[in-house]
Amino acid sequence: MTLVPYTAVLIIPTGIAAAIGGYAGDGLPVARALATVCDRLITHPNVMNGAQLYWPMANTLYVEGYGLDRFAQGDWGLQPVHHNRVGIIFDAGIEPDLRLRHLQAAEATRATLGLDLTDYVITDAPLNVELRQAPSGASWGTIGNPESLLRAADRLINQAQAQAIAIVARFPDDIEPEALQHYRQGAGVDPLAGAEAVISHLIVREFKIPAAHAPALAPLPLDPTLSPKSAAEELGYTFFPCVLVGLSRAPRFIDTPDSRLADSIWAPQVNALIVPANAFGGSASLSLSQQAELILAIEDNLTAMRSRPEPLGIKAIRVNSYLEAIGLIAAHRAGMSPFALSAHLSSLRCLAPACD
Amino acid sequence: MIKTQFITTTIALPTSPIALRQAIETELEKIGKPLRWAITEVNLDRKTVTLEAIVTLDEPALLSF
Repeated sequence: MTLVPYTAVLIIPTGIAAAIGGYAGDGLPVARALATVCDRLITHPNVMNGAQLYWPMANTLYVEGYGLDRFAQGDWGLQPVHHNRVGIIFDAGIEPDLRLRHLQAAEATRATLGLDLTDYVITDAPLNVELRQAPSGASWGTIGNPESLLRAADRLINQAQAQAIAIVARFPDDIEPEALQHYRQGAGVDPLAGAEAVISHLIVREFKIPAAHAPALAPLPLDPTLSPKSAAEELGYTFFPCVLVGLSRAPRFIDTPDSRLADSIWAPQVNALIVPANAFGGSASLSLSQQAELILAIEDNLTAMRSRPEPLGIKAIRVNSYLEAIGLIAAHRAGMSPFALSAHLSSLRCLAPACD
Repeated sequence: MIKTQFITTTIALPTSPIALRQAIETELEKIGKPLRWAITEVNLDRKTVTLEAIVTLDEPALLSF
Protein backbone atom coordinates (compact mmCIF):
# COMPACT_ATOMS: atom_id res chain seq x y z
CA MET A 1 0.00 0.00 0.00
CA THR A 2 1.36 3.42 -0.93
CA LEU A 3 0.93 6.42 1.39
CA VAL A 4 -2.13 7.43 -0.61
CA PRO A 5 -4.00 4.31 -1.71
CA TYR A 6 -4.23 4.04 -5.48
CA THR A 7 -7.86 3.42 -6.42
CA ALA A 8 -9.07 2.20 -9.81
CA VAL A 9 -12.61 1.67 -11.05
CA LEU A 10 -13.22 -1.04 -13.65
CA ILE A 11 -16.51 -0.81 -15.53
CA ILE A 12 -17.78 -3.38 -18.03
CA PRO A 13 -21.50 -2.64 -18.41
CA THR A 14 -23.75 -5.68 -18.45
CA GLY A 15 -26.04 -6.74 -21.29
CA ILE A 16 -24.21 -4.89 -24.07
CA ALA A 17 -22.35 -7.81 -25.67
CA ALA A 18 -18.94 -6.79 -24.35
CA ALA A 19 -16.36 -9.02 -26.02
CA ILE A 20 -14.64 -9.30 -22.64
CA GLY A 21 -16.97 -9.41 -19.64
CA GLY A 22 -20.15 -9.89 -21.63
CA TYR A 23 -20.54 -13.58 -20.81
CA ALA A 24 -20.24 -15.78 -17.74
CA GLY A 25 -17.73 -14.04 -15.50
CA ASP A 26 -15.22 -13.61 -18.30
CA GLY A 27 -14.32 -10.14 -17.01
CA LEU A 28 -12.98 -11.66 -13.79
CA PRO A 29 -9.45 -12.32 -15.12
CA VAL A 30 -9.22 -8.61 -15.97
CA ALA A 31 -10.19 -7.70 -12.40
CA ARG A 32 -7.73 -10.21 -10.96
CA ALA A 33 -4.87 -8.74 -12.96
CA LEU A 34 -5.84 -5.11 -12.34
CA ALA A 35 -6.15 -5.75 -8.61
CA THR A 36 -2.43 -6.54 -8.51
CA VAL A 37 -1.39 -3.10 -9.80
CA CYS A 38 -3.60 -0.91 -7.61
CA ASP A 39 -4.28 -0.68 -3.90
CA ARG A 40 -8.06 -0.74 -4.27
CA LEU A 41 -10.13 -1.91 -7.21
CA ILE A 42 -13.79 -0.96 -7.35
CA THR A 43 -15.87 -3.01 -9.74
CA HIS A 44 -19.34 -4.51 -10.04
CA PRO A 45 -21.15 -7.86 -10.11
CA ASN A 46 -21.06 -8.26 -13.89
CA VAL A 47 -17.28 -8.34 -13.70
CA MET A 48 -16.97 -10.51 -10.60
CA ASN A 49 -19.79 -13.05 -10.97
CA GLY A 50 -18.99 -16.36 -12.63
CA ALA A 51 -22.04 -18.36 -11.52
CA GLN A 52 -20.46 -21.20 -9.50
CA LEU A 53 -17.04 -19.56 -9.90
CA TYR A 54 -15.71 -16.53 -8.05
CA TRP A 55 -12.40 -15.15 -6.84
CA PRO A 56 -12.62 -12.97 -3.75
CA MET A 57 -9.84 -10.41 -3.50
CA ALA A 58 -9.05 -8.49 -0.35
CA ASN A 59 -8.51 -5.19 -2.17
CA THR A 60 -11.49 -5.44 -4.52
CA LEU A 61 -14.85 -3.87 -3.74
CA TYR A 62 -18.01 -5.47 -5.16
CA VAL A 63 -20.39 -2.59 -5.82
CA GLU A 64 -23.75 -2.99 -7.54
CA GLY A 65 -24.28 -0.73 -10.54
CA TYR A 66 -26.80 1.71 -9.06
CA GLY A 67 -24.57 2.09 -5.99
CA LEU A 68 -21.60 2.63 -8.29
CA ASP A 69 -23.51 5.40 -10.09
CA ARG A 70 -24.27 7.16 -6.80
CA PHE A 71 -20.69 6.66 -5.60
CA ALA A 72 -19.40 8.18 -8.84
CA GLN A 73 -21.71 11.18 -8.44
CA GLY A 74 -20.28 11.79 -4.97
CA ASP A 75 -23.62 11.11 -3.28
CA TRP A 76 -22.58 7.92 -1.55
CA GLY A 77 -19.33 6.68 -0.05
CA LEU A 78 -18.21 3.07 0.21
CA GLN A 79 -17.55 1.64 3.62
CA PRO A 80 -15.48 -1.56 3.47
CA VAL A 81 -16.59 -4.28 5.90
CA HIS A 82 -15.29 -7.61 7.15
CA HIS A 83 -18.60 -9.29 6.47
CA ASN A 84 -22.31 -8.78 5.78
CA ARG A 85 -25.28 -10.87 6.87
CA VAL A 86 -26.85 -11.69 3.54
CA GLY A 87 -30.59 -12.16 3.18
CA ILE A 88 -32.11 -14.03 0.25
CA ILE A 89 -35.29 -13.20 -1.68
CA PHE A 90 -36.80 -16.01 -3.73
CA ASP A 91 -39.30 -15.10 -6.43
CA ALA A 92 -42.62 -16.86 -5.74
CA GLY A 93 -42.60 -17.75 -9.43
CA ILE A 94 -39.78 -20.27 -8.92
CA GLU A 95 -40.93 -23.90 -8.93
CA PRO A 96 -40.36 -25.71 -5.57
CA ASP A 97 -37.64 -28.04 -6.91
CA LEU A 98 -35.73 -25.19 -8.52
CA ARG A 99 -36.04 -23.11 -5.35
CA LEU A 100 -34.71 -26.04 -3.34
CA ARG A 101 -31.66 -26.22 -5.62
CA HIS A 102 -30.95 -22.56 -4.84
CA LEU A 103 -31.58 -23.02 -1.15
CA GLN A 104 -29.10 -25.91 -1.09
CA ALA A 105 -26.55 -23.78 -2.94
CA ALA A 106 -27.02 -21.15 -0.23
CA GLU A 107 -26.67 -23.77 2.52
CA ALA A 108 -23.45 -24.95 0.86
CA THR A 109 -21.95 -21.46 1.11
CA ARG A 110 -22.73 -21.49 4.85
CA ALA A 111 -21.22 -24.93 5.45
CA THR A 112 -18.28 -24.73 3.04
CA LEU A 113 -17.38 -21.04 2.99
CA GLY A 114 -18.75 -19.97 6.37
CA LEU A 115 -21.00 -17.25 4.97
CA ASP A 116 -23.48 -15.58 7.33
CA LEU A 117 -26.97 -15.82 5.82
CA THR A 118 -30.25 -14.78 7.39
CA ASP A 119 -33.50 -16.70 7.03
CA TYR A 120 -34.96 -16.19 3.56
CA VAL A 121 -38.13 -14.64 2.18
CA ILE A 122 -40.38 -15.75 -0.68
CA THR A 123 -42.08 -12.85 -2.46
CA ASP A 124 -45.83 -12.56 -1.87
CA ALA A 125 -46.45 -12.68 -5.64
CA PRO A 126 -44.48 -13.85 -8.70
CA LEU A 127 -42.15 -11.09 -9.88
CA ASN A 128 -43.00 -11.70 -13.56
CA VAL A 129 -39.69 -10.68 -15.09
CA GLU A 130 -39.93 -9.86 -18.79
CA LEU A 131 -36.93 -9.68 -21.10
CA ARG A 132 -36.48 -7.43 -24.07
CA GLN A 133 -33.80 -6.41 -26.53
CA ALA A 134 -33.52 -2.70 -27.20
CA PRO A 135 -32.89 -1.08 -30.61
CA SER A 136 -29.19 -0.70 -29.71
CA GLY A 137 -28.86 -4.46 -29.26
CA ALA A 138 -28.57 -4.19 -25.46
CA SER A 139 -30.69 -6.44 -23.30
CA TRP A 140 -33.12 -4.83 -20.87
CA GLY A 141 -36.04 -6.04 -18.84
CA THR A 142 -38.96 -5.09 -16.69
CA ILE A 143 -40.42 -6.45 -13.46
CA GLY A 144 -44.16 -7.04 -13.37
CA ASN A 145 -44.38 -6.91 -9.58
CA PRO A 146 -41.72 -4.56 -8.23
CA GLU A 147 -43.67 -3.83 -5.06
CA SER A 148 -43.60 -7.50 -4.09
CA LEU A 149 -39.80 -7.41 -4.47
CA LEU A 150 -39.58 -4.30 -2.28
CA ARG A 151 -41.83 -5.78 0.42
CA ALA A 152 -39.61 -8.87 0.57
CA ALA A 153 -36.48 -6.74 0.91
CA ASP A 154 -38.11 -4.69 3.65
CA ARG A 155 -38.85 -7.87 5.64
CA LEU A 156 -35.28 -9.11 5.31
CA ILE A 157 -33.83 -5.80 6.42
CA ASN A 158 -36.23 -5.07 9.26
CA GLN A 159 -37.11 -8.55 10.55
CA ALA A 160 -33.93 -10.50 9.81
CA GLN A 161 -31.42 -7.60 10.02
CA ALA A 162 -29.97 -8.43 6.63
CA GLN A 163 -27.08 -6.16 5.64
CA ALA A 164 -27.07 -7.19 1.97
CA ILE A 165 -29.73 -8.68 -0.28
CA ALA A 166 -29.39 -11.53 -2.79
CA ILE A 167 -32.33 -11.94 -5.14
CA VAL A 168 -33.21 -15.05 -7.13
CA ALA A 169 -35.90 -14.32 -9.70
CA ARG A 170 -37.50 -16.78 -12.09
CA PHE A 171 -36.51 -15.78 -15.60
CA PRO A 172 -38.46 -16.87 -18.67
CA ASP A 173 -37.24 -20.08 -20.30
CA ASP A 174 -38.54 -19.03 -23.72
CA ILE A 175 -35.48 -17.00 -24.62
CA GLU A 176 -35.19 -16.41 -28.35
CA PRO A 177 -33.26 -19.55 -29.48
CA GLU A 178 -30.88 -17.78 -31.84
CA ALA A 179 -29.87 -15.20 -29.21
CA LEU A 180 -29.33 -17.93 -26.62
CA GLN A 181 -27.25 -19.99 -29.03
CA HIS A 182 -25.06 -16.98 -29.84
CA TYR A 183 -24.56 -16.28 -26.15
CA ARG A 184 -23.60 -19.87 -25.41
CA GLN A 185 -21.08 -19.67 -28.22
CA GLY A 186 -19.49 -16.53 -26.78
CA ALA A 187 -21.02 -14.04 -29.19
CA GLY A 188 -23.89 -11.59 -29.02
CA VAL A 189 -25.64 -10.15 -26.02
CA ASP A 190 -26.45 -11.83 -22.70
CA PRO A 191 -30.26 -11.87 -22.99
CA LEU A 192 -30.77 -11.96 -19.21
CA ALA A 193 -28.30 -9.37 -18.04
CA GLY A 194 -30.27 -6.18 -18.55
CA ALA A 195 -33.23 -7.43 -16.53
CA GLU A 196 -30.93 -8.64 -13.77
CA ALA A 197 -29.49 -5.16 -13.41
CA VAL A 198 -32.95 -3.63 -13.15
CA ILE A 199 -33.83 -5.93 -10.23
CA SER A 200 -30.72 -5.18 -8.20
CA HIS A 201 -30.81 -1.47 -9.07
CA LEU A 202 -34.31 -1.20 -7.63
CA ILE A 203 -33.31 -2.74 -4.30
CA VAL A 204 -30.19 -0.57 -4.01
CA ARG A 205 -32.05 2.60 -4.98
CA GLU A 206 -34.84 2.06 -2.47
CA PHE A 207 -32.88 0.64 0.50
CA LYS A 208 -29.30 1.85 -0.03
CA ILE A 209 -28.01 -1.62 0.75
CA PRO A 210 -25.69 -3.92 -1.26
CA ALA A 211 -27.69 -6.20 -3.56
CA ALA A 212 -27.12 -8.56 -6.46
CA HIS A 213 -29.17 -10.99 -8.50
CA ALA A 214 -28.98 -14.52 -9.84
CA PRO A 215 -31.55 -15.80 -12.35
CA ALA A 216 -33.37 -19.09 -11.79
CA LEU A 217 -33.72 -21.07 -14.99
CA ALA A 218 -34.44 -24.62 -16.04
CA PRO A 219 -31.18 -26.39 -17.01
CA LEU A 220 -30.24 -26.12 -20.68
CA PRO A 221 -29.48 -29.15 -22.86
CA LEU A 222 -25.82 -30.09 -23.20
CA ASP A 223 -24.10 -28.15 -25.99
CA PRO A 224 -20.78 -29.55 -27.30
CA THR A 225 -20.04 -26.23 -29.06
CA LEU A 226 -20.25 -24.20 -25.85
CA SER A 227 -17.74 -21.33 -25.62
CA PRO A 228 -15.35 -21.29 -22.65
CA LYS A 229 -16.58 -17.72 -22.04
CA SER A 230 -20.08 -19.02 -21.29
CA ALA A 231 -19.10 -22.28 -19.61
CA ALA A 232 -19.27 -21.06 -16.00
CA GLU A 233 -23.05 -21.01 -16.22
CA GLU A 234 -23.22 -24.69 -17.18
CA LEU A 235 -21.57 -26.08 -14.07
CA GLY A 236 -24.61 -26.71 -11.95
CA TYR A 237 -28.20 -25.89 -11.22
CA THR A 238 -27.72 -22.30 -10.09
CA PHE A 239 -25.69 -19.15 -10.79
CA PHE A 240 -25.95 -18.30 -7.11
CA PRO A 241 -22.69 -18.91 -5.14
CA CYS A 242 -20.78 -15.99 -6.70
CA VAL A 243 -23.55 -13.57 -5.69
CA LEU A 244 -23.53 -14.69 -2.07
CA VAL A 245 -19.75 -14.56 -1.91
CA GLY A 246 -19.62 -11.08 -3.46
CA LEU A 247 -22.30 -9.68 -1.18
CA SER A 248 -20.76 -11.21 1.93
CA ARG A 249 -17.98 -8.62 1.75
CA ALA A 250 -19.56 -5.89 -0.37
CA PRO A 251 -18.92 -2.39 0.99
CA ARG A 252 -21.90 -0.66 2.57
CA PHE A 253 -23.15 2.68 1.32
CA ILE A 254 -22.82 5.79 3.46
CA ASP A 255 -24.12 9.24 2.60
CA THR A 256 -22.05 11.48 4.85
CA PRO A 257 -18.32 11.38 5.46
CA ASP A 258 -17.79 10.23 9.05
CA SER A 259 -14.45 10.77 10.75
CA ARG A 260 -15.02 7.56 12.73
CA LEU A 261 -15.02 5.66 9.45
CA ALA A 262 -11.59 6.71 8.23
CA ASP A 263 -11.37 3.97 5.63
CA SER A 264 -14.47 5.00 3.70
CA ILE A 265 -13.91 5.70 0.00
CA TRP A 266 -15.36 8.61 -2.00
CA ALA A 267 -15.32 9.51 -5.66
CA PRO A 268 -12.54 12.13 -5.47
CA GLN A 269 -10.21 9.34 -4.32
CA VAL A 270 -10.52 7.51 -7.64
CA ASN A 271 -7.25 7.67 -9.57
CA ALA A 272 -8.08 5.61 -12.65
CA LEU A 273 -11.15 4.63 -14.64
CA ILE A 274 -11.14 1.75 -17.14
CA VAL A 275 -14.06 1.38 -19.59
CA PRO A 276 -14.63 -0.33 -22.97
CA ALA A 277 -13.83 2.26 -25.65
CA ASN A 278 -17.33 2.49 -27.10
CA ALA A 279 -19.30 2.20 -23.84
CA PHE A 280 -18.62 5.49 -22.04
CA GLY A 281 -22.30 6.46 -21.98
CA GLY A 282 -23.20 5.28 -18.49
CA SER A 283 -23.81 7.45 -15.47
CA ALA A 284 -20.73 6.29 -13.53
CA SER A 285 -18.39 6.80 -16.49
CA LEU A 286 -19.67 10.33 -17.12
CA SER A 287 -19.32 11.25 -13.43
CA LEU A 288 -15.91 9.69 -12.86
CA SER A 289 -14.54 11.20 -16.06
CA GLN A 290 -14.37 14.46 -14.09
CA GLN A 291 -12.65 12.85 -11.08
CA ALA A 292 -10.09 10.32 -12.24
CA GLU A 293 -6.63 11.47 -13.33
CA LEU A 294 -6.23 8.55 -15.74
CA ILE A 295 -9.07 7.39 -17.98
CA LEU A 296 -8.44 4.40 -20.18
CA ALA A 297 -10.60 3.39 -23.13
CA ILE A 298 -10.11 -0.27 -24.05
CA GLU A 299 -10.30 -0.67 -27.82
CA ASP A 300 -10.48 -4.44 -28.11
CA ASN A 301 -13.36 -4.79 -25.70
CA LEU A 302 -15.98 -4.09 -28.34
CA THR A 303 -19.61 -3.72 -27.27
CA ALA A 304 -22.96 -3.01 -28.93
CA MET A 305 -22.78 0.63 -27.79
CA ARG A 306 -21.67 3.61 -29.87
CA SER A 307 -20.67 6.06 -27.16
CA ARG A 308 -16.97 6.82 -27.41
CA PRO A 309 -15.33 9.18 -24.92
CA GLU A 310 -14.33 12.10 -27.19
CA PRO A 311 -17.79 13.13 -28.44
CA LEU A 312 -18.98 13.05 -24.83
CA GLY A 313 -16.25 15.48 -23.78
CA ILE A 314 -14.20 12.84 -21.95
CA LYS A 315 -10.41 12.96 -22.23
CA ALA A 316 -9.42 9.31 -22.31
CA ILE A 317 -6.28 7.51 -23.39
CA ARG A 318 -7.07 4.83 -25.92
CA VAL A 319 -5.27 1.55 -25.36
CA ASN A 320 -5.58 -1.62 -27.36
CA SER A 321 -6.10 -4.07 -24.55
CA TYR A 322 -6.44 -4.62 -20.84
CA LEU A 323 -2.84 -5.86 -20.86
CA GLU A 324 -1.75 -2.40 -22.03
CA ALA A 325 -4.05 -0.76 -19.48
CA ILE A 326 -2.47 -2.75 -16.67
CA GLY A 327 0.96 -1.46 -17.68
CA LEU A 328 -0.24 2.13 -17.82
CA ILE A 329 -1.84 1.87 -14.40
CA ALA A 330 1.28 0.30 -12.91
CA ALA A 331 3.33 3.23 -14.27
CA HIS A 332 0.77 5.79 -13.12
CA ARG A 333 0.66 4.32 -9.62
CA ALA A 334 4.46 4.45 -9.54
CA GLY A 335 4.26 8.17 -10.30
CA MET A 336 5.84 7.79 -13.71
CA SER A 337 5.08 9.26 -17.09
CA PRO A 338 4.16 6.36 -19.38
CA PHE A 339 6.25 8.01 -22.12
CA ALA A 340 9.38 7.04 -20.16
CA LEU A 341 8.68 3.40 -21.02
CA SER A 342 8.64 3.92 -24.77
CA ALA A 343 11.56 3.64 -27.20
CA HIS A 344 11.50 7.31 -28.18
CA LEU A 345 11.33 10.18 -25.73
CA SER A 346 11.09 13.65 -27.21
CA SER A 347 13.23 16.47 -25.82
CA LEU A 348 11.85 19.13 -23.54
CA ARG A 349 10.94 22.36 -25.29
CA CYS A 350 10.86 25.89 -24.03
CA LEU A 351 7.38 27.23 -23.47
CA ALA A 352 6.74 30.17 -25.81
CA PRO A 353 6.68 33.12 -25.57
CA ALA A 354 8.27 33.76 -22.16
CA CYS A 355 11.71 32.29 -23.08
CA ASP A 356 14.43 34.05 -25.09
CA MET B 1 -48.49 0.98 -7.57
CA ILE B 2 -44.97 0.95 -8.98
CA LYS B 3 -44.32 0.02 -12.58
CA THR B 4 -41.00 -0.38 -14.42
CA GLN B 5 -40.98 1.04 -17.92
CA PHE B 6 -38.44 0.89 -20.73
CA ILE B 7 -37.99 4.07 -22.75
CA THR B 8 -35.76 5.31 -25.52
CA THR B 9 -35.29 8.98 -26.30
CA THR B 10 -32.94 11.50 -27.86
CA ILE B 11 -31.62 14.66 -26.22
CA ALA B 12 -29.26 17.50 -27.18
CA LEU B 13 -25.58 16.95 -26.42
CA PRO B 14 -24.30 19.54 -23.89
CA THR B 15 -20.67 20.59 -23.67
CA SER B 16 -19.55 18.70 -20.56
CA PRO B 17 -20.05 15.15 -19.26
CA ILE B 18 -21.56 16.39 -15.99
CA ALA B 19 -24.00 18.68 -17.80
CA LEU B 20 -24.88 15.72 -20.00
CA ARG B 21 -25.60 13.47 -17.03
CA GLN B 22 -27.76 16.15 -15.46
CA ALA B 23 -29.61 16.76 -18.72
CA ILE B 24 -30.32 13.04 -19.05
CA GLU B 25 -31.66 12.76 -15.52
CA THR B 26 -33.81 15.86 -15.97
CA GLU B 27 -35.25 14.41 -19.17
CA LEU B 28 -35.94 11.03 -17.59
CA GLU B 29 -37.54 12.62 -14.53
CA LYS B 30 -40.19 14.08 -16.83
CA ILE B 31 -41.35 10.49 -17.31
CA GLY B 32 -40.52 8.72 -14.07
CA LYS B 33 -37.81 8.01 -11.52
CA PRO B 34 -34.59 6.96 -13.32
CA LEU B 35 -33.38 3.48 -12.44
CA ARG B 36 -30.85 2.60 -15.13
CA TRP B 37 -29.85 4.31 -18.35
CA ALA B 38 -27.15 4.39 -20.98
CA ILE B 39 -26.22 6.54 -23.93
CA THR B 40 -26.26 4.09 -26.79
CA GLU B 41 -25.27 6.42 -29.62
CA VAL B 42 -23.82 9.87 -30.16
CA ASN B 43 -24.77 11.81 -33.32
CA LEU B 44 -22.19 14.55 -33.80
CA ASP B 45 -23.89 15.99 -36.89
CA ARG B 46 -27.11 16.63 -35.02
CA LYS B 47 -25.34 17.08 -31.68
CA THR B 48 -27.65 14.62 -29.97
CA VAL B 49 -27.36 11.47 -27.90
CA THR B 50 -29.73 8.50 -27.95
CA LEU B 51 -30.66 7.00 -24.60
CA GLU B 52 -32.14 3.74 -23.46
CA ALA B 53 -33.49 3.68 -19.92
CA ILE B 54 -35.66 2.02 -17.35
CA VAL B 55 -37.66 4.34 -15.11
CA THR B 56 -40.14 3.54 -12.38
CA LEU B 57 -43.59 5.04 -12.43
CA ASP B 58 -45.89 5.49 -9.45
CA GLU B 59 -49.37 4.85 -10.77
CA PRO B 60 -52.67 5.05 -8.96
CA ALA B 61 -53.79 1.48 -8.26
CA LEU B 62 -57.11 2.00 -10.04
CA LEU B 63 -55.30 2.60 -13.31
CA SER B 64 -53.28 -0.62 -13.08
CA PHE B 65 -54.56 -3.91 -14.40
